[in-house]
Amino acid sequence: MSKKISRRDFLKLAGAGAAATAVLTGCGPASRYVNREPYTKMPEYTYNGKSTYYATTCRECAAGCGLVVRTMQGRAIKVEGNKLNPVNLGKTCARGQAALQGLYNPDRVQGPLKQPGRGSRDFTEMDWDAAVGVVAGAFKSYQPDEIAFLVGMAPDHLFDLVSDMAKAISGLAPVRYGALGMFEARATLMQAAEAVFGRRDLLHFDLAGAEVTFSFGANFMETWLSPVANTRGFAKMRQGMAGRRGYLVQFEPRMSQTAATADEWIPVAPGTEGLVALAIGSLVSEAAEGTVPPAYADVDLAAIAEKSGVPEETMRRLARIFANTSHALAIPGGSPLGQTNGLDAARAILALNVLADNLGQPGGVFINPPTPLGSNAQRPVSMREMSTLVQKMKNGKIKALFVHGVNPLFELPKALGFEAALVNVPLVVSFASFPDETAMQADFIFPDHTGLESWGYQRVLTGADVAVLSGAQPTVAPFYNTRATADVLLAAVRSVGGKLAAALPFEDEVAYLRHKLLDLVKADGGVYSAPEINTFSAQFQQYGGWWQKENSLGTIDSSRVFARSLSVAEPEYSGEGELHLFPFVSPILAESGANKPWLQEIPDPTTTVMWNTWVEMNPRTAEELGITDDDVVRITTPVGVVEAPVYRYPAIRPDTIAIPFGQGHTAYGRYAQGRGVNPIDLLSIMFNEAGDLAFAGMIVKVEKTGKRRELSRMEGRLGVYGLEEH
Amino acid sequence: MTEHQIPEVKADFSPEEVGKWGMVIDQDLCTGCQACVAACAMENNVSFVGEEDAGYGRGMHWVRIERFWEGEYPKISTSFQPVMCQQCGHAPCEPVCPVFATMHSEAEHLNMQVYNRCIGTRYCANNCPYQARTFNWYDYERPDPLNNQLNPEVTVRRRGIMEKCTFCIQRIRRAEDAAAAEGREVMDGEADPACAQACPADAIIFGRLDDPESRVSKQVRSGRGVKLLEELGTLPQVTYLKGGAGYDRNG
Amino acid sequence: MGAKIVNFLKQPMVRAVLAIAVLALVGGAAWGAYQTQRLPQQPIEFRHNLHIGLGVQCLYCHPGAWQGQSAGLPTQSKCWGCHQQIDRQTPELDKLAQYVEDGVSIPWVPVALMPDFVYFSHRPHIAAGVNCETCHGDLSKMTVAEPQKGMDMGWCLKCHKELAPEKETKLIDCATCHQ
Repeated sequence: MSKKISRRDFLKLAGAGAAATAVLTGCGPASRYVNREPYTKMPEYTYNGKSTYYATTCRECAAGCGLVVRTMQGRAIKVEGNKLNPVNLGKTCARGQAALQGLYNPDRVQGPLKQPGRGSRDFTEMDWDAAVGVVAGAFKSYQPDEIAFLVGMAPDHLFDLVSDMAKAISGLAPVRYGALGMFEARATLMQAAEAVFGRRDLLHFDLAGAEVTFSFGANFMETWLSPVANTRGFAKMRQGMAGRRGYLVQFEPRMSQTAATADEWIPVAPGTEGLVALAIGSLVSEAAEGTVPPAYADVDLAAIAEKSGVPEETMRRLARIFANTSHALAIPGGSPLGQTNGLDAARAILALNVLADNLGQPGGVFINPPTPLGSNAQRPVSMREMSTLVQKMKNGKIKALFVHGVNPLFELPKALGFEAALVNVPLVVSFASFPDETAMQADFIFPDHTGLESWGYQRVLTGADVAVLSGAQPTVAPFYNTRATADVLLAAVRSVGGKLAAALPFEDEVAYLRHKLLDLVKADGGVYSAPEINTFSAQFQQYGGWWQKENSLGTIDSSRVFARSLSVAEPEYSGEGELHLFPFVSPILAESGANKPWLQEIPDPTTTVMWNTWVEMNPRTAEELGITDDDVVRITTPVGVVEAPVYRYPAIRPDTIAIPFGQGHTAYGRYAQGRGVNPIDLLSIMFNEAGDLAFAGMIVKVEKTGKRRELSRMEGRLGVYGLEEH
Repeated sequence: MTEHQIPEVKADFSPEEVGKWGMVIDQDLCTGCQACVAACAMENNVSFVGEEDAGYGRGMHWVRIERFWEGEYPKISTSFQPVMCQQCGHAPCEPVCPVFATMHSEAEHLNMQVYNRCIGTRYCANNCPYQARTFNWYDYERPDPLNNQLNPEVTVRRRGIMEKCTFCIQRIRRAEDAAAAEGREVMDGEADPACAQACPADAIIFGRLDDPESRVSKQVRSGRGVKLLEELGTLPQVTYLKGGAGYDRNG
Repeated sequence: MGAKIVNFLKQPMVRAVLAIAVLALVGGAAWGAYQTQRLPQQPIEFRHNLHIGLGVQCLYCHPGAWQGQSAGLPTQSKCWGCHQQIDRQTPELDKLAQYVEDGVSIPWVPVALMPDFVYFSHRPHIAAGVNCETCHGDLSKMTVAEPQKGMDMGWCLKCHKELAPEKETKLIDCATCHQ
C-alpha cells in the first residue's frame, strides 16, 4: 500500500473516523515495523512530543482483549484498552497494564542461543540462519509423528500455522496447554455443556442481564475465561440497571477476590459444590412444581448439609432467592470441576440454569458466537491428553519437541513426569522470549518477539456477544535480535521443500496472516468491509481486529438434563492428612506474571501480600496448630513438599488451606527466580471423568517448621512510618 | 506590591465551592482487581521498591486498594476501597510545607507537589490523614531497558522527594491543550486519569465537578456519596459511593 | 576542641591543601558554568540568518511548534527537499548530502531545553501570538541557534503576568507548568 497510495488517502478510503487512534503501519515487507528513534524520514504523524497509538491484542492471557498502545518516538509508553474491541471495550486488567514490563524486561532472551548441556545455563550465541537450519534439520531427519509442538492456550495464528504444517505432512496435531486452562477445567466444562445442552462449548454466561448469580467457584473477575469482560458484566448486573441491583453469591472453600466482591460467600467443603448445587436444584424445582421431580429424587438434603458444611436452612434460603427471581444464573467455575466428581458437579450446576429457565434469555446461558476463521480452535488439552504426550516422550516416540507460549516445567504438576520424559527427547527447542524453566532444559532457545512487537491474530472463544478475531501488530520494532516463530518455521519449511513447502508457500508471517484473513474479507456482518485484502488488512490493523456488528450468540433451545436422574458422586481425595489443599491462581500474577516487577509489587487483593507465596489458614486452625502469621509451615503430599509462611486468613474454611499459584520459579529472570513456592508441585495425578486434573482434591499434612519468614504486605503497615515494628 | 510576593499557597475553599476536577469511586462496583494500581504505576513512572522495602511500608503506590474484613468466619464479608490523594480543597498537607513544594493550584483546584522544590521534610505525609503520600527513601533501581517505558510527560522522581497522585495532571493538560487548540471546552471523559481509564468495572469516574451535567457530578448527587474522614473538614474532591453493605436477601 | 581545629588549620600544609581544594572547586564550577553557556557543537554549521533572510518561515522546519509540545528539529529529508535542487555546494552542504546518502538522521543538538519537571508546550504560546524570537532570540542574527540567557521561572512568570493579566490565575498557577 505504501508505494501507491499515501497514508492520508488510505485513511480516507478506510473510513478514518472509527478508529482515529489506531494508526496504520505500512504493509510492505520493509515497513512492517515501526522505527525506534531516530526517524531518518519522519512520518508526517510523528511530531516530536506527540504520541502514536497502535491497536493490538493483549497476550498476557488467552482472553484476547484489545489494546491500544501509546508510543512516543518509537518507544511503547503505555498500554490502554481498545474501546472498539467488543471483548474489553477499552478496559484492561492489571496484567495487561504491566505488559510493557515484559517487552522491556531486563532478562529477555536477546537472540538465538544454543545450550550444549541442558540445564547448564551455559549458552552460546548463534545466528538465525543456523537456527532455521536446526528446525529444518528436525523436519528432514525425523518422521512427522516424531515431531511435537506444544503451544500456549491462545487459539492464535501460530496455532493455525503449526496445525497446517502438521496437516501437510500428516504429523502430530499441536498440543495446546496452559495452567489457566487446567485451573478452569475447560474440558469438563465443555463436556458438561454437551451433556446438558448438546453443544461442546465454553458457554456464554450473560452476567450483565442476570439479577441473581450463583457462582460455584468461578473466579470470573480474576482469571476465569475472560476476566475483563466478566467484570464488565458484573458491573452491569450490580449497578447498570435502573431500579434493581444484582445479587452475587459465591460458593467456594476459600474467599477469592470474586467472592470478596460478591454479596454472599458460602464456604463449601472442597468437592461438595456439585452436591450443594444438586440440593439447591432440588429445592428450587420443589418450590416451582410443588413436588421433587424424578431427576432430583435421590437428593438427601441433610446428608449434603453435613458433607458440605452448608446448613440446610442456608440452602433453603438461597433456593428461595434463586427461585424468586426472573433472571437467575448459575456458573460452574474451575475448582468444583477440578475434582474427581467434577463432571457430575458441572452438570448439576448447569442444570440450575435449566430450572431458572434462562437458556437463551437475557441474564442466561448462551452458546458463544461462531469463532472466526473456522472452528479450528478446540479447547486446550486436558491433563489426561497431556499425559499421553508425556508418555510418548518418555517412550522415545517423540524425537523433536518445539515449545512456544507455555512453560510446561512450571505449569504442569511435577508428578506428571514431564521433566523426566524430556530427557528422552533428542531435540528440544524453546521459542520463549524469557529464560523460563523449560527454556533452561532445552537444547536451543529461538526467542520469539514479545506480544507487543509481533504480528498475529487471536480468536476470541468467549467473552463477547459477537464473533471476534483480535488482531495484533507490532507497536514497536523488535527490541532485540528476536524473530517471529512463524517466520522461523516458514523459513524452515522453505528449506525443507517438498510437500510441506508446497502446502505453505508463504514468504513470511505477514504473508501467512494475510492469506488466512482472505476468508474474512468477504464475510458478512463485520464492523467494516473491504473489497480486497490490502484494504481489509489495513483496517484489520486500524481496528485491532475484526468483529461482527450484531449479536450472534447462539441460543439453546432444549436441554437433556432431566432425561436421567442427576447425581453427584462423593469426591475422592488424594493424600493423607487433616487439611484440604486448595490451590488457586494468583489474580495478579497468574501463570506468567512473576517476572514483571510491578506485578510482584501489586498487593494480592485479599491478603495484600506482595513479592511472595503465602499459605492461607483459618485463624482457628492456626491457633490449634500453634501457628501465627509469618510462621513457615511444611506441607506434604505423597508427591511433593513445599515450605511457605502462613497468612492467617479469616475467610477460609478451617479444614482447608490455600496456596496461590504464580510464584516458585527456579528460572524466569531476576524478579521471579527463587521467590516463593509452586503449589502445583504438590498435586497428585488424579483425573476426573472428563480427563481434567482433580487439582482441588488433595489432602495434605501441615507441620510447623519453627522457621519464620516475614511476608511483605500492604495492610497494617501503611504510611512511611509503619504501624508495626519492623 | 513587591516583585517577590509569595502567592497564596494554601487552599481556601469554602464548603459550598464545588471545585473543578473530581472523582467518584463506586465501592459497590470495585472488585479489588488492582487494575487501577497497575495503570497508575505505568502511567506515572512510579518506582517499584522490592520485597524488603515494600514490607517496611515504603511501597510507592499512588493508589492503593484497602481491604476491610467485617465479621468472623463463616459470616465474614469484605470490602475494597481504593484510596489515593483526595485532592482536598482544604488540605492539611499544604500549610506545613516549609518550602512551598506542596501547594494548591487555584486554576485546577488540585494539590500540587512541585518536585524541584521538595527538600524531603516529609511534614506533608505526616499531616495527611489519608496516607496518600509516598516518599522516595532511595533511588530505586529501574534496570535498563525497563526505563524505556518511562512516560516523558511525567517527571522521574529521585531520592528524597515526596510524591503522590496528581489526578494524572499530564492528561488533564493534554486534554486542555487539545480543547484550547480546537476552541472548545474539555469534553466529559476526555481527561480520564489512567486508573479510571483502566477500571474494568467502571467504578472510577472522573470529570468536571463544576459541570452539573458531567457523569461525575451526576454520581456525586446520587445520594450514595460519602467523603473519607469528612469530619476533618478537608473537603476532598473524591467521593465514595456506598451501597451493597446491609443489603440482604432472604428469598 | 575548637582551639585544636584552629591550630590544625594554621599548619601550612593544611592551608595549602585547603587553598587547592577551594581553587579546584571554584575552577570546576566556573568550567561547568562555561560549559552550560558555551554554544554546543552542531553537526552542520546551519545558518539560520541565511535561511530567514531568504524568507523561510520558522514553522517550515519546526512544524511541531503549532502542533504540540516540541517544535521538532528537521530531518535530513526536510533539508534535502530543497537542497537537492540547489546547485551551490559548500562543505556544510556536502555533510548534508552525506547524511542523505547514508540514510541517517542529522544528530542536531537541541539548545533550548526545559528541565524535566517542567511541562512546556509550544502550541498555546504560538496560539497566543507569541513570536519565536521572544524566547529564542533574533535568529536572523545567528548562524547556529544560541541558548538564551536567563530562561528561568522568573522570566516565564514575568511574561505570564504582563501579557495576559486577565488570565493570571491560570497563567501563574503551579499546575500550569509543573509536573
